[in-house]
Amino acid sequence: MIEIRQLAKAFALEKGQKLSEAELQDVRYTGRSFCSVRDVSFSCARGEVLGLLGPNGAGKTTTLRMLSTALKPDAGSILLGNEDVLKDPVLARRKIGFLSSSTGLYGRLTAFENVAYFARLHGMSELALRQRIDELFTMLDMHSFASRRAELMSSGMKQKTAIARAVVHSPELVVLDEPTTGLDIMTTQTVLDFIRGLKAAGTPVIFSTHHLDEVSSLCDRVVVINQGISAFDDSLSAFSNLSSNGDLREAFMTVIKGEAKSCGKSI
Amino acid sequence: MWQVYIKELLELSRDRKTLMFVILLPILIFPVIFGLIALVAANVTASKQAEEHRYVIIHAERAPAFAEKLFYHKNFKQVSTELTEPEALRQAVRDGKFDLAVVIPADFDASSPTLAQSQWTVIYNTAPVLDLVGNYLKDLVKDYSRQLQLARLEAVGITGDQVDAVLEPVKINKISSAENREDLGEKLGGWIAYLLVPLCFMGCSYPAIDIGAGEKERGTLETLLICPISRTNLVLGKFMTVLTTGLATALITVLSFGGWGYLIGSLAGVDVIAKAMAALGLTDLLLILAMLIPLTMIFASVLLSLSIYARSFKEAQNYIGPMSILVFVPLALALLPGVELTWKTALIPMTNISLCIKELVKGTIDMGILSLVIASTVVLAGVLIAVCVHWFQREKVLFR
Repeated sequence: MIEIRQLAKAFALEKGQKLSEAELQDVRYTGRSFCSVRDVSFSCARGEVLGLLGPNGAGKTTTLRMLSTALKPDAGSILLGNEDVLKDPVLARRKIGFLSSSTGLYGRLTAFENVAYFARLHGMSELALRQRIDELFTMLDMHSFASRRAELMSSGMKQKTAIARAVVHSPELVVLDEPTTGLDIMTTQTVLDFIRGLKAAGTPVIFSTHHLDEVSSLCDRVVVINQGISAFDDSLSAFSNLSSNGDLREAFMTVIKGEAKSCGKSI
Repeated sequence: MWQVYIKELLELSRDRKTLMFVILLPILIFPVIFGLIALVAANVTASKQAEEHRYVIIHAERAPAFAEKLFYHKNFKQVSTELTEPEALRQAVRDGKFDLAVVIPADFDASSPTLAQSQWTVIYNTAPVLDLVGNYLKDLVKDYSRQLQLARLEAVGITGDQVDAVLEPVKINKISSAENREDLGEKLGGWIAYLLVPLCFMGCSYPAIDIGAGEKERGTLETLLICPISRTNLVLGKFMTVLTTGLATALITVLSFGGWGYLIGSLAGVDVIAKAMAALGLTDLLLILAMLIPLTMIFASVLLSLSIYARSFKEAQNYIGPMSILVFVPLALALLPGVELTWKTALIPMTNISLCIKELVKGTIDMGILSLVIASTVVLAGVLIAVCVHWFQREKVLFR
């Protein structure tokens, strides 16, 4: 289980950066810094799939980056099981699998080499990594392009490779940042099936998305982040109940509008 | 660290640009440069020397001895003309009717005892860099003038030796203490560094951009940062890769320099290059390589720091582009007349390496100063690597 409490992260503005009218009205701009995440808290239990929703620029990616230890929070805590992620990020990285919003593959390496490189960085033996990669390539239907260089792959192939890379070390927690963006229907289905497989194996999955149909078909919990604050954190049914007819789009808008009224909340 | 290193090398080895900068360029640049020298030295000069220049001589009867010398010169062929005015002759030369016009004043008298200087006019195209016509004429006129000097002075009872004593009371006979190698080293040594050092820089620059800013641009950096290895190991793996490509360039460059120099100098018979290469031993080449190692470490750390700071490949190129010009400044300093390798100049980065290479080629290197140069370069490289590692820990740099 992962538990996140009151995460906050601010970034200094570039020297000479001028703010637009809209940005001047945004409470997250304070002095010469931008508070991307102000107060985000949620948890995800074993076997749960948590959907992270929010408008563009709400702070989802920053939250996921802190969760994956790429960024260090200014405040708050992250507990993975009983371990403090912030105290020992290197140890935590062994237990977290992270797929960033950009596919981010090495173009001159093959699908196999891309995945194997990260397996080696995770300290896996050659035998173990070959077995694991074979297993993942079967699950994600990747054998046909295993020896193809990433620069010659379609976007669907790239995304599958990126997912295989993210979970090659059998992480205890999987974090996916918009994993289906820009994919065709078939590849999207493969990715969603893969997430279901993780859930079935008891691995908690946190994924950010803009696709509410994916949320309704996959998620157990929903967290909505707006203006750097977790504005909603509850079960999928509680989320759908926010609308009169169970429409998730309407529920999402309700949260966003409600949060807009309380955006003065400070950390 | 080694996993990062091996992967980066594997990826770079599949990149055409890297292969071009690291392997192809150092291998090909020397045969191209040496080949050009050989071509200019042999072919161009030879063909120019074989050229025949058509000339006219006005009032040849006033200086028959000179006219005869000109007539029998193998590179001149007399043609006739009715023209006598300098402007008309100039136009005829411009029109290609002949190549040279020598106008002897109508009142010139070679046997006249009067002490008046005669002004002759020669008209030809002086634009070519290789002014062979001018050189031939200069020799002919000098010879003819000397002949006249002797004749006039002998007429008043002064002998040839006395003429020399009057005209040139003191004559210097130069005996150079410098060996052939020292002389060549002084002339060529600085230029060798001028070639080697920028090639090392180039060998580092593209890989540094690719594995720093390129990693950011491709979106792979973020994934790499969440792997269970420390950022220090990560950056050191990358640093080692850039260092390897830079050193590979240096090694290939030195081997290419030695190999092609030997081939073109000895086998193709280009004298200047043969002499220069004969002066250099294997130890000298190894010492040059030893100096290039810490220098390449400096390049690798600076370039990697800049590359990591940049948001994109293009931004990194914008930073590194001007740097590749700056590299030449300390090298040019070493080429200035009077700039020697001393205990002080041994502490000026890059200039010291350049001066050391010059001294090595000359065969006059002071081992104490050489040690200082290597030590100071290693210390500077160490500091810059530490800065690079520190730089890589900063979120502001990694997530700009």
